[in-house]
Order: sequence, then structure tokens, then C-alpha cells
Amino acid sequence: MTNAPSLNFTPARALPVAAVLLAMAVGILLVALTGVPVGEALGAFADGAWGSPYAIGASVNRAVIFALVGTGFVLADRARLTNVGGEGQIAVGAIAATAVSLYGGVQGLPLGLAFVLPLLAGALAGAAWGALPGLLKARAGTNEVISTLMLSFIGVWLLYWSVQSERLLRQPMSNSGTLPESLEIPSTTRLPFFLGDESMPINIGLPLTVLLGLGAAWLLARSLFGLHLRSVGLNALASRQAGMPIARTVVLAMTLAGALGGLAGAIMLQGDQYALKSGFSSGYGFDGLVVGLLARGSLPGVFAGALLFGFLRSGGINMEMAASVPSALVQVVQGMIILAVAGAALWMDRHGAAR
Amino acid sequence: MSPELSAVFIGSAIRFATPLLLGATGELVSQRAGVLNMSLEGMMLTGAFAGAVGSWATGNPLIGLALGILAVLPVALLQAFLSITLRANQIVTGIGINILALGGTTLAYRELFGSRSSAAIPGLDKWAPPLLRDIPVVGQMVFEQVWLFYLGLAIIAATAFMMRQTALGLALHAAGASPRAVDKSGLSVNGLRYGAVMFSGVMAAIAGCFISIGDIHTFTEGMTSGSGYLAIAAIIFGNWKLGRMLLACLLFGAATALQFFLPTVGVQVPSALLIMLPYLLALLAVAGVIGRQTAPGHLGEAYQRG
Amino acid sequence: MHAAFAPAIAVAVAAASSSVEAGRLRLNNVGKRFGAMAALDGVSLDIRAGEIHCLLGENGAGKSTLCNLVFGVHAPDSGSMLLDGAPYRPRGPADALASGIAMVHQHFSLVEDASVADNLLLGQSRGLLKRREAGARIRALAAQYGLELDPDAMIADLSVGERQRVEIIKCLMREPRLLVLDEPTAVLLPDEIAALLAVCRKVADSGCGVVLVTHKLAEIRQVADRITVLRGGRTVASSTAPATDIDSLVAAMIARDPKASTMPAAPAAPRRALSSDVRDEVLQVDGLTVKDAHGALRLDNVTLIVNRHEIVGIAGVEGNGQSELAAALSGMTKPAAGRFFVNGRPLAGSAPQEITRAGVGIVPEDRHAVGCVTGLSVAENIFLNQLHKFTRRGMLDRSAMRAAARGLMQRFDVRAASEDVAFGGLSGGNQQKAVLARELTQDNLALLIAAQPTRGLDVGAVEAVYNHIRAARDRGVAVLLISSELDDLLAVADRIVVLYRGRIMGVCPAGPEQRARIGAMMAGQSHD
Repeated sequence: MTNAPSLNFTPARALPVAAVLLAMAVGILLVALTGVPVGEALGAFADGAWGSPYAIGASVNRAVIFALVGTGFVLADRARLTNVGGEGQIAVGAIAATAVSLYGGVQGLPLGLAFVLPLLAGALAGAAWGALPGLLKARAGTNEVISTLMLSFIGVWLLYWSVQSERLLRQPMSNSGTLPESLEIPSTTRLPFFLGDESMPINIGLPLTVLLGLGAAWLLARSLFGLHLRSVGLNALASRQAGMPIARTVVLAMTLAGALGGLAGAIMLQGDQYALKSGFSSGYGFDGLVVGLLARGSLPGVFAGALLFGFLRSGGINMEMAASVPSALVQVVQGMIILAVAGAALWMDRHGAAR
Repeated sequence: MSPELSAVFIGSAIRFATPLLLGATGELVSQRAGVLNMSLEGMMLTGAFAGAVGSWATGNPLIGLALGILAVLPVALLQAFLSITLRANQIVTGIGINILALGGTTLAYRELFGSRSSAAIPGLDKWAPPLLRDIPVVGQMVFEQVWLFYLGLAIIAATAFMMRQTALGLALHAAGASPRAVDKSGLSVNGLRYGAVMFSGVMAAIAGCFISIGDIHTFTEGMTSGSGYLAIAAIIFGNWKLGRMLLACLLFGAATALQFFLPTVGVQVPSALLIMLPYLLALLAVAGVIGRQTAPGHLGEAYQRG
Repeated sequence: MHAAFAPAIAVAVAAASSSVEAGRLRLNNVGKRFGAMAALDGVSLDIRAGEIHCLLGENGAGKSTLCNLVFGVHAPDSGSMLLDGAPYRPRGPADALASGIAMVHQHFSLVEDASVADNLLLGQSRGLLKRREAGARIRALAAQYGLELDPDAMIADLSVGERQRVEIIKCLMREPRLLVLDEPTAVLLPDEIAALLAVCRKVADSGCGVVLVTHKLAEIRQVADRITVLRGGRTVASSTAPATDIDSLVAAMIARDPKASTMPAAPAAPRRALSSDVRDEVLQVDGLTVKDAHGALRLDNVTLIVNRHEIVGIAGVEGNGQSELAAALSGMTKPAAGRFFVNGRPLAGSAPQEITRAGVGIVPEDRHAVGCVTGLSVAENIFLNQLHKFTRRGMLDRSAMRAAARGLMQRFDVRAASEDVAFGGLSGGNQQKAVLARELTQDNLALLIAAQPTRGLDVGAVEAVYNHIRAARDRGVAVLLISSELDDLLAVADRIVVLYRGRIMGVCPAGPEQRARIGAMMAGQSHD
């Protein structure tokens, strides 16, 4: 009952799919209302989403970020802990990865350590950003929704600060027009490509994320820690009487979630952006959070949702560039999907969606 | 530091605090009744947009304000329906509405105004209380504010009175603290919560209109830029009490004002730190560093009889 | 008290009220199903104005469902209800209240951080809160019915008995036509019970109909005008002269001969002689003191000993420190002072894990909140505190765990579709058997602490539970049995310790002849 997720098609499983299709239909309607020819808009969308190897690469890279944050969310959610701090965890992960890449002296290291160490630094920074709310919850009973949310904003503004200040990570200002960004990270610290090359830039973040996803699934289904998570989430009092380490479980869950978020930030930096800029995380954390929420505890659901949102985002960006349809439309579609799935949660619970 | 400079500072602090205290008042009532309304940001944005459009289209800022409020009512109703009747996760629905509102207002703005960056919009007047205005040197700087500020103060006072001294206030408080007691007494928990959420919608609309019609006299995409979350932080920092929440809002407004103020007196503090300060304070509050927190007992939980 | 006069008074009143008008509330053939289970099946009932009507029945007989129907929480699936002759179909508590039916529930619904007056004003007032007026009215009502209540006190500061008074006043303020009380005496002391019954009498005399739902016979003897007995969702007996019909009513309630013990019979083997050898002491409690969140004393300097091969029963009305004692001994709360040892090992303030490892088995009072995780499977619950036995390098060997669970389920007769189904789906009796299976098969079990282990169980399950406990005792385990069912303790325990207001009132050997003495101690009269 608590083991491997199954893929049978129950009515409740069908609902998120139906919500997506319905929201997309509404989106198409809105496109028509803006006067842009629907065919043209959809063409631009498809182009941006999967129309070229480059587009596919970009979409997959985005999906990787969402999947990592979403997986972290699901892990914590097992213990009924809600981590909404993905945005901030990405930010501090990126800060740490940038600092180590640029100034950590790792450039020349062999065996790929040049890019592995910054990744680790990112994961550690994110872990700290998750551990703090975990500790607050375990010690002071602090509501983790609020603490992770506040830390999220703090993390984002820390990133802003770090690229504003030359003493921190900002590139040396040659003139007043120099953008608030860090220097570009050296090529050895960038993530190597996995499948393709510059024309289809899927980096090793993909296999890494898939492995981590499998690891998380194993952890939840087969490990003692996974059962502790579930037990604490269902009934902390009984778990305590049964001798389970409640505080340790809570802190570890939040730390893992944070670490995955931090890793996502590092991957974003080293695999895609190559420099830290203000506005770096730009909503990826919230998107990842939404992917986690919509998956309702299912890791395959996280990956499916991550792919969907990844392609949605890419398509939306191109739709704006090529067909002048504001990418805000994609946000509208996203919002509708979220509300439809959230609103139907009760119905889905009654009609047998696994949790 | 001259009195004029301090007056300018205080005046700005009040200006920045106003949307917070307007939005937070409504949100506080909603939270006391048990509904964590994360969509405050989205509702403020919707109000800002509708108010701006209304004011621009009719040339009358008051009609704009009215339209702003009207436009938010369906959004608040949606939030209430999802969270209370459908018992959906209140955080998800809040974030969902925020994303929807951001996308929707941006889309609508582009459609109406093209990509012109900002159309000029007739704004709301300022006002100052007669005696205070006449204080030499500082009176005008500090006290001449868009009249929504004073309206906000009046609403806060009225809300505080309502919560303490009326049957409605007692029922709202009980709806968040012990919904079963409310149900058993024959009142409708969900009805009370619906009302509270609608009230928070109205206040959010006024807050948004303050930003667009009252303060900046235009609409820009995503112009609320986190004020909704700041308002929630102010409630937390104020431990769910109106008086302390008001002080928290003023404090946060001051922190924002410092960003522009400190450079003029030669102090270089990175703006990011000042922007971060309110969230840090709220975090310290929930961590219990600043005394015990007493959130409404059933905040965030949908009510089910039996 | 006035025990000698009570039956006479009851009979006299019964005679008087038999001439009263037709039924205030009448239920005709009412039925209610929850899923496949029929909670009520063709129940007909008739409550008159001015009478105290007792609804008698064991747990699970349908009393709560009946109350919920009367109060509009649920609607009947079949049959009809009439109030003062008119059809009565409430769609919710609001309708019931509007129709003049008020109910004092078992679990109070009070707003903790508000005053008594505010709680009473909730839902009762419009516009401005007239607190002073309400306060005066409360004081007047309280005086009229003989209750003590301070309108300005905060609920959080009140005791259980005082909170119940608030609930009662809440009802009386609406001047109801019918007052229903659901198991009101479960948490009261004998004194408080007498006061409550006096209030019921005064309320009935004022013309209101009073329905007293209970499974305690002593109370109805004193005040009931009429009785209806429920069993299995049906009315199986009723009486207008309860004092004389007690025996047959009890028989109807449990469908057994009440002359025989209502408890599973004690085995023929004579009770063991009480040991005075220190080496036989397993549990030594020394000066244990527990305070609650407000700093009030809940357990006061408790010292006791449990030996091998012995069942020590803790007797007392619920709410006198039993829960706190169990919580302290199981590691769920830290005592404010004092120590306790299991086989010489000091455990006060230790975590539950350590206590379990020291050889202590715990059957908690609140099975669902503390004893099990209803969302996990049966197998997972059976090994909830021994998961490490199946864990190697962080990985859980689920197939071994499930096989072991199957074995235990068979040994302890835990009936479920399989070891993988959700624990919450099992009946109360099977759940408790599973919990016992878990605790009794621990390695090095030296002490079993069982708190209210038969609460909510049917007779068959009760019997099974006590058989397992006695078997453990015979094996050499020391047993601390906390129960509010005095009859059970008298039949099962070797010694009985009485708790009153957190203190030990006295210790005596068990046996039916001790009943009166123990009852007096439970009421606070010290004997040694």
C-alpha cells in the first residue's frame, strides 16, 4: 500500500490532465481574443517549446529545475511539511555556486571537480536554507509555511545584494552602465553537455535529476527514513510514543528539500545562465512549488508536471517574441491549471487518487 | 538631521506603509476567521489595475476606486469558494490566484494600452487633518497624504472596535479559534469566513488603488511587487493584533523609505538589505525571538462539521 | 448524601409526572445508517415535558447517533420526529436551537481564549456586546440552578467541571423546551455528579424535558422518571419505575444475566500472595509530580510499586491524574519532580524510545491519537516501535515485516483483510488487540502500562484484552492497569491504588468487598 507508485488510470488521475487541456483551450480562446491569428500563435508556441533542438534543450533544462524543487517539496510533504521556500533556496544555491566557481579556486581541479564542487556548494547552501525552518519547526513549533516564505524573500534579496555590491559578487564596474551581474564563470565550472551540444544544450543536470528522483522514490518507499516521514506526517504524537526521532526527521526532511532547491540554483547557474544576475530565479521556485503541489505526493507526477511547465514556459517566451502574444498568457493558463487541480482535490481524494 | 528631512522621511514612511496597512487590515480579519488568504498580492494587483483603468477611462478617480473594488469581488469570491467550500489547500489557491492575477492584469494591460509603458491616469487627492497640517515646517510634509491613508486609519479603528465589542467580531474571532463552538452555537462558520474573505478583498482593492491611482498615478505590470506578502509579514509580526499590525506596517514603511533616505544623508546601505528587513523581522517574530506567537488556532484549516 | 431518600423521591416524582401532558418530543420508528452499518434501527421514543428521561445503553448502542438526530447534526433515513405534536425536521443545529432543543455534548465547544460571558454571547446576540448585562444574567441563572460561575473568567483557566457548567448555562439561557445531556457525568467527581443531577431536577421541574444519556446505572436510580434502553440501535426496554426495574433494565442493556459479573470471569486460580521482596519490584515510582501547561498540579507526589506477577490497578474518576501518570511513565511528558525506575533503571524524563528499550510496553489511553497511526498498514503499526528489527543499513525489509505481522495477527486474533490494509479500517477491538500484540511481544518485557485499555470495546474484545493482560501477569510481567471501570479493576487487579486530585488516596487489595471503601476514596475520603 505504501510502496511503488502505480500508473493505473483512475478518474481522479485523469483530472489534472483534463484541467491542463481545458486551461489550454481557454488559453487558445484568449489568444484569439487578442487578435493574433491562433495558428500563428500556436506555431510560435510549438517552435519555442519543441520546434528546434535548441528549444527542446531549453525546455528540458527548465524542467530539470522544476523537477528538483518539486521533488524536494514532495519529500517534505510526506511528513506534512510544506516547503514554499524554493525561490530562496534556488537563490542561495546560485550564490554559493557562483562564489565557489569564481573565487573558490576550483577552476583547475581535475576529474570534473571544477563543476562538482560548486554544485555541492549550492546544495549545501540550500540545505542550510531548509534546515533553519526545519529547526524552527522542531524546536519552536514555527509554522514552516511562513518561515520558508520569509526566507524565500530574504534569499532573493540576498542575491540581489550580492550582485549589487562589488565587494560581493558584482563584476568590476568599468563604467556606470555596467550591469549588476557577476562575472561569467570559467568554462571548466560549467556543466558539460549530456546529450547534445550548444545546439541542444541539455546538460548533465538531466541525468543527475533523474537519478535524484529515483533516489527519492527509493527513499520514500523502501527506507526506514521514508516510513518515519510518512508516520510523522500522519501522526506525530503516535510516532513520538513509538520512539521515532521526530525532530531529526523534520529537520532532515526540510534540509533535503532545501538541498534539492539549492542544487537547482547551482544547475541553473552552471548549466544555463553562466553568470549571476539580479532577477535570477524569476519565479522558477514558485513554479517548482506548484509542480510539487499538483503532483499530490507522486514523484512520477512531479516529473510529468515539470516537463509540462518547462515546455509551457519555453513556448510562452517564444510566443511573445515571434507572435507578439504576451507570455503573461502562459501565466494565466498556469494559474487556471493550479486552481482547477487544487479545487478538485477533495473530489480526487474521494475517487481514489493515490497520495 | 534637519526637521525638514525628518518630515520628508516620515511622510514617505507613511506613504509606503499605507498599502500595507490597508491590505493587512482585511487580511487580518480573514486570518482571525481562519482563512489564510495568500492571494492578497493578486487581489491588490487586480484592484490596482481595475482602479487605474476605471480612472483612466472615466477621468474620475473615485469611479476608478469603485471599479477597482468591484473587480476584486469576484476574485475574493473565487478564493473563498475554493478555500472554504471546496476545502482546497489555502496556500495553493492563494499562489494560483496570484499567478492568474499577474498574468491576467499584464495581458489586459498590454491589450488596452499596447506596450506604451505608462499612460497617465487621473489620481486621487491628498488631504491632511486641519490642525496637524498647520504645524510649521513639518506639518504638511508629514500629514498631507492621499486621503486613503486616513480612511485606512478610520477603518482600522472601526475594525478594532468591531472585533472587540460586537457580536460579529466575537463570531469572527471564534471562527478561527474554535470553529466548532461557532457551529454549535447555530452560526455558520463558512458564512462568516466568506464574509471575512470578501472584506479582505475590498481592503486589498483599496490598497491596490492607493498604489495605482493614489500614489504613482499609473499602472505598471506587477506593480504591487510583493506588498501583499509584506502585509502578511506585518500581521505575523504584529501577532494578529490590529494595533501591533499597524505599528508593524509603519515600521516596514519606514524601512522602505530608508532606502531612498539614507543616501541623502550620506549613509550607504545596500537597498537589498533594507528591502529584506521586514521579512527578517517577521521571521524573527515567528521564531519566537520576540515573544510568544498566538496565531488563530485553526488558521488555514477548512471546517467540516462532525 | 440523601441516598436513603432518593428512591422514595424518584418514585413520588414518577407518580406525579405520569399525569403530565402528551409527549414533548416523539420519535417514531427512526432509522439511520452510516454506510453499511445501521446505527439506529426502528427506534421509537417519547419524551415528556417536566420529566427526566434516561437513555441507557452501552458504548456503540446508538445513543450518540440518536442525540445527533435530535440535534439536527444528521437527518434520519427513515421514520419521523415530532416536537410538541408538530413534525420536526431540523436541517442543522441552528434549526434545533430555534425549535427549543439544547444539548450539552460530551466534548465541549468553547472558545479557550475568551471569557465565560463571551462564550455565552456567541451566537446569542446582535450588534454591540452587552457584557455587563450578560454577566448579570449569568449570575442570576447560576444562582437559580445552584451553579457557581464567574462570567469574567477565561475558559482556559477553568476546570472540566466548571467548563461543563458553562455549557449547561449556555443551554439554559435559551430557555429550552428540551435539554439533552450526553454522558455528562463521565468526567465529574461524585460531588459534582450530585450537583449536576440536582440541576437536572430543577430544570425538569421548570417544565423542560430532560434527556440524560448515560451508561452509568447509579445516576438513573436517583433521578430518572423514565428509562429507555438502547442496544444495537434498537429500543429493547423501557420503564416508568426505574428504581424497581434496575436489574431487568441492566439485563436488557447487556443481554447477559446481571447477577453474574458483567466482567469476564476471573480464573479459578487463587490470587497470588502479595510479595514484599524488593527483588520482585519492577516499577518503583518515587514522588512523581506532574504539572500541566498552566503550572497546575496534576500529579502530586505519587509513590507506588508494581511487582512481578502482579496487576496493580489505578482507580479513580477520569481526570484525577491518571492520564498524567501514564504520560509521565511512557515518556510523553517530563515530570516536574520525582523519579521512577524500571528494574532499577532511572527513567524519569527519558524519551519514549529509551523507556521501550528498558522493557516497558505501553497501551495508551487514546488509541487513535497516541497508540497507532491509522493511515499506516496493520503490519507497520504492529511493529511501529520496533522497526529497527527489520532495518538493515537504512533499508526496511518489508516482506520480513509483513510475514512476522501475519504471525502475530494470528496469535492475537487480529482480524483484518490482510496485514497491508490501513489500520484505521479495523474495528476498535481488533485495533486494541494489535496494539497489545505489539506491546506484549517486545523483547525483555518487564512492565506493561495499560491505560483505559477496554474503552470503546465490545464485550468480546474486553474479554480478550483482559485475558492477554492476565496471561502476561502470569508470565511474570508487572502490569499497571489504569481504568475508570471499577468493576473491571476489582475483578482483574491484585491491588488497587486510588487516585484523587492527583494524589494517592489509598492502597488496598482488590476484591468486591472493597467496593465501598474504594468508592469513598475515589470521592476524596482518605482511609490511610
